[in-house]
Amino acid sequence: MAVPAALTEDQVYHHCPVEKLDFETTESLEDLELPCGQERVLRALEFGASMQAQGFNLFVLGPSGAGKHELVQRFLAKHAADQQAPPDWCYVFNFRMSDHPRAIQLPSGQGQAFKSDMNDLADELRTAIPAAFESEEYQSRLQELQEEMSKRQHQGLFDIQQEANQNNIAMITTPAGFTFAPMRDGEVIEPEEYKNFSDDEKALIESKVEDLQKKLQQAIQQIPRLKKEVRERVKALNEEMVQLTLGGPIGELREKWRDLPAVVEHLDAVREDVADHAEAFQDGENGPPAGLLGRYKVNLLVDNSKTSGAPVIYEDLPNHQHLVGQIEHHARQGTLYTDFTLIRGGAFHRANGGYLVIDARRVLTQPMAWESLKRILFSGEIRIESLERLYGLVSTVSLQPEAIPVSVKVVLLGDRMLYYLLSHYDQDFQDLFKVEADFEDDLTRDDECYSLYARMIATMARKLKARPLDRLAVGRLIEHASRLAADQRKLTAQDRVLRDLLSEADHWALQSGEDVISAGHIQQAIDEREYRASRIRERSREQIQRGIVMIATEGAEVAQINGLSVLTIGATMFGQPTRITATARPGKGQVVDIEREAKLGGPIHSKAVMILSRFLAGRYAGDGELSLSASLAFEQSYGGVEGDSASIAETCVLLSAIARVPLKQNFAVTGSMNQHGEVQAVGGVNEKIEGFFDVCQKKGSVGAHGVLLPASNVEHLMLKETVRSALAAGDFQIYPISDVSEAIELLTGMEIGEADGHGEFPEGTFNRKVADRLAAFAKISRQDETSDGNGSGGKQGE
Amino acid sequence: MEMAVEASKVSDAPRGRVLVLLDGSQMSYAALEAATDIARRTGADVLGVFVEEANLLRSAGYGFAREVGAASGVSRPFSTDLVEERMQRMAEHARKALAQAMSGQGGHHTLNIVRGEVVDVVLPLAGPEDVLVLGRTGWSSGYGARLGSTARTLIRKSPSRVLLWCKRPQSDRDRVVVFLNDHEPANQRAISAAVDASRHRHLPVTLILPSDTELTNERVESIKRDLDVLGSGTRLRQLAGFDLSSIARILHEERATQLVMSRECSLFRAPGMEELVEGLNLPVTVTP
Repeated sequence: MAVPAALTEDQVYHHCPVEKLDFETTESLEDLELPCGQERVLRALEFGASMQAQGFNLFVLGPSGAGKHELVQRFLAKHAADQQAPPDWCYVFNFRMSDHPRAIQLPSGQGQAFKSDMNDLADELRTAIPAAFESEEYQSRLQELQEEMSKRQHQGLFDIQQEANQNNIAMITTPAGFTFAPMRDGEVIEPEEYKNFSDDEKALIESKVEDLQKKLQQAIQQIPRLKKEVRERVKALNEEMVQLTLGGPIGELREKWRDLPAVVEHLDAVREDVADHAEAFQDGENGPPAGLLGRYKVNLLVDNSKTSGAPVIYEDLPNHQHLVGQIEHHARQGTLYTDFTLIRGGAFHRANGGYLVIDARRVLTQPMAWESLKRILFSGEIRIESLERLYGLVSTVSLQPEAIPVSVKVVLLGDRMLYYLLSHYDQDFQDLFKVEADFEDDLTRDDECYSLYARMIATMARKLKARPLDRLAVGRLIEHASRLAADQRKLTAQDRVLRDLLSEADHWALQSGEDVISAGHIQQAIDEREYRASRIRERSREQIQRGIVMIATEGAEVAQINGLSVLTIGATMFGQPTRITATARPGKGQVVDIEREAKLGGPIHSKAVMILSRFLAGRYAGDGELSLSASLAFEQSYGGVEGDSASIAETCVLLSAIARVPLKQNFAVTGSMNQHGEVQAVGGVNEKIEGFFDVCQKKGSVGAHGVLLPASNVEHLMLKETVRSALAAGDFQIYPISDVSEAIELLTGMEIGEADGHGEFPEGTFNRKVADRLAAFAKISRQDETSDGNGSGGKQGE
Repeated sequence: MEMAVEASKVSDAPRGRVLVLLDGSQMSYAALEAATDIARRTGADVLGVFVEEANLLRSAGYGFAREVGAASGVSRPFSTDLVEERMQRMAEHARKALAQAMSGQGGHHTLNIVRGEVVDVVLPLAGPEDVLVLGRTGWSSGYGARLGSTARTLIRKSPSRVLLWCKRPQSDRDRVVVFLNDHEPANQRAISAAVDASRHRHLPVTLILPSDTELTNERVESIKRDLDVLGSGTRLRQLAGFDLSSIARILHEERATQLVMSRECSLFRAPGMEELVEGLNLPVTVTP
């Protein structure tokens, strides 16, 4: 098999064609309103923001730092600008049910006017009503009324008294009521004397007394009705005075707000309430109690007077109270008081008629916030309830404000994992968030993209108030964007990392006293970032250099190979070589994955080892049995191994162990493999190559070193300058391999050897050596089985 | 018109007793408080009078006698035993109330329990220097009467000044209002009563002249003398008209907490004045 040619410098790095950037500095470039390459998200946003049907809320998913928030805000601001500003909302006192404040909707911007009108009315009430009740007219009418009623009340008793007197019967007041007795000359006759009266006289008197008693009873029983009548007539008089006094101002307000029946209804309720509380208004000195006048105020919950277009609200702390609003309390002498003026609106109130942007993770971490959000979206109304009431922790009487209908488009921002978890575990989620706006992680890098990407960088620099970039700096940034995307044909869409890099480059430009950011500043920013994050990497390299972690970069060894792994720590990742060793001896077709046995290997790694095992059996055992007991280990690895990117290395080292053919230690290998021995792409190739290159450099000088990587990974290469230089100088090689046989040939220097029609490999080839050794293992195994069958009883140790 | 004058000098020595009529009603106990208050300030003795009404006792002696409840209108049996027992209980209660009200005060107190007619019993007991204090209504307040028949008779006949007590008006009222007329001795008696009321409770005084009064020089001099006696803060006003609403209005404007007038005052004899007194929720002092 032909060994693949090593990659050239141009193959491992996609330079930015500077000629495509037709500007001197980014200062001359126009702003880019919407980011390039995010057409899917933009279409989803356009659809979701315009779709009126229920449940078509948006979930914008993408990795952290992708610029989701900025894009959504920018898009919605533009989208909402053409829409109408939503109505104002206010709460007013409910005169029928005082603990259920009423919600009133007003056209946008008119809430302030209504509030002001009601304040003026309250001020007028404060002075005008007491003045009306102080007036001579009222006082004299009230007195007349009371006199009349008093007379009527007394008249009944007086008439009875008169009647009694005319019949010479005294009506005597007792501590508990009245009694009747015959009298003469204003004095009650002595009972003894009465005995001397004739029976007729007695009968007449007693009959009259009985008659008077009955009349008196009737008269007394009329008194409560009379008192009630007095109250009603006083009330009617009060109402009349209030109507006369308030007729003007309330009439004007009714006329002004005649198009809003709810306001008119409230004004009528205020008038009735003033009449009902006329007595409280009668104190001309102190005026009516503040609490009474406070009931006529307006709590303007949502004021859209300064809102143009539909509101776009971002709630940065989306807890229950901030979303649905809350009822605040005043503490007075240790007691909490509240009223409808202390109702505070939440983000839903402010966003009503527009858009509410929330971070999904934040809303999910706040108690009850997610449930409250869903409840509002399902019910289409906002009901302000405290958390303690929702949890049933308090049973004290509090306000239950009337629910406000809500029409709001909720835009959740979150990472993909959250979206998929919510889709899977929350049954309501798909009903409420039907529009998925998925951010692209990367943008396609083609000839057309350069100018757009440059404009995006220019926009970013302006927003950051950074210096403009020259074209080489933009080119370097584009190249780095490809490196961040780990793909020569892609550019990263990670907004945050680019912004950070720009800011840092601007800083370095400032430090060097230059007005334009150059490629050098960009490179300095990249290098500084790398350096700041390099402590662990440096410690790791030092241990290899000192031989504490054993990595051979020279010579050849049997059953030993340099694998490549990537360590991700925080936001940084780096590659480093790992020694992989293997043992092989006769057995029953087992390949022991020591990492897995020690519970340090993940399932993907285990799968890769099983594939490897099947590959061996398929290639070398044919129809027979693979008589092999092998083991694989990542030496000096204590933190666990996962992934299948070491499959090629593991296969090579195992075959080396079987064939006892040494492997060149100046190479490191990465790549996944299928059961047919074909090499498959892996991740982190840039970091892996650079990691091995650095180790080789640290251990001496680089020369004839190299890395074997899957051919399908070549277009992912965006290697750093030092590696590219070594490559150009021929000190370092990168071989793209497509089949494990190529790796074997490169690592052993032997021909691999193809099987003939009988499955025999040519003499002197690597495969022949493997096959012969496996045949020897098989023979030994058969002998062991024979001796077991003869009853020797001994068991061969493995 | 407002005039500030020197504080008056009035003798602190008690001039007579304070007589208080007790009949067991709530209003009479309120009057007892007022009476003991006056006694405490003046050092006068208090004579409580509890009258067991003869007419009441006699009326209970009839076999057919029934009592009709003032509030409920229910007819109940009524007998001498019941009335005797009730009166004893009330008299005992009055005795205790008087003793309690006077405890810690220097003056003497006595309770006279007398059987007879109230007016007949009280008038001989009251002297010109005494103050007779009684509730504006007795038991009749229960059914809404605002000026009892006993009170009506006593203010017209008593040789002493009579204080018709009622529950205190609103606390923001702070003036003693005196109605004057052309009858100078009566005016002096009224002013003297106002001085006492004012001095006891540190209240300013308003003098009200009838609308038809001509302010002659002699009259002004007389008033100035009165003002000297009444002390600083005293105001002089003249009624706008002789009608009841003008009177009610001026009392309201002056924030009157107590009204003083002589029964010789022409206003007192004006038709409807009793009704006005009834309608005002003010303690009223009527001087001979």
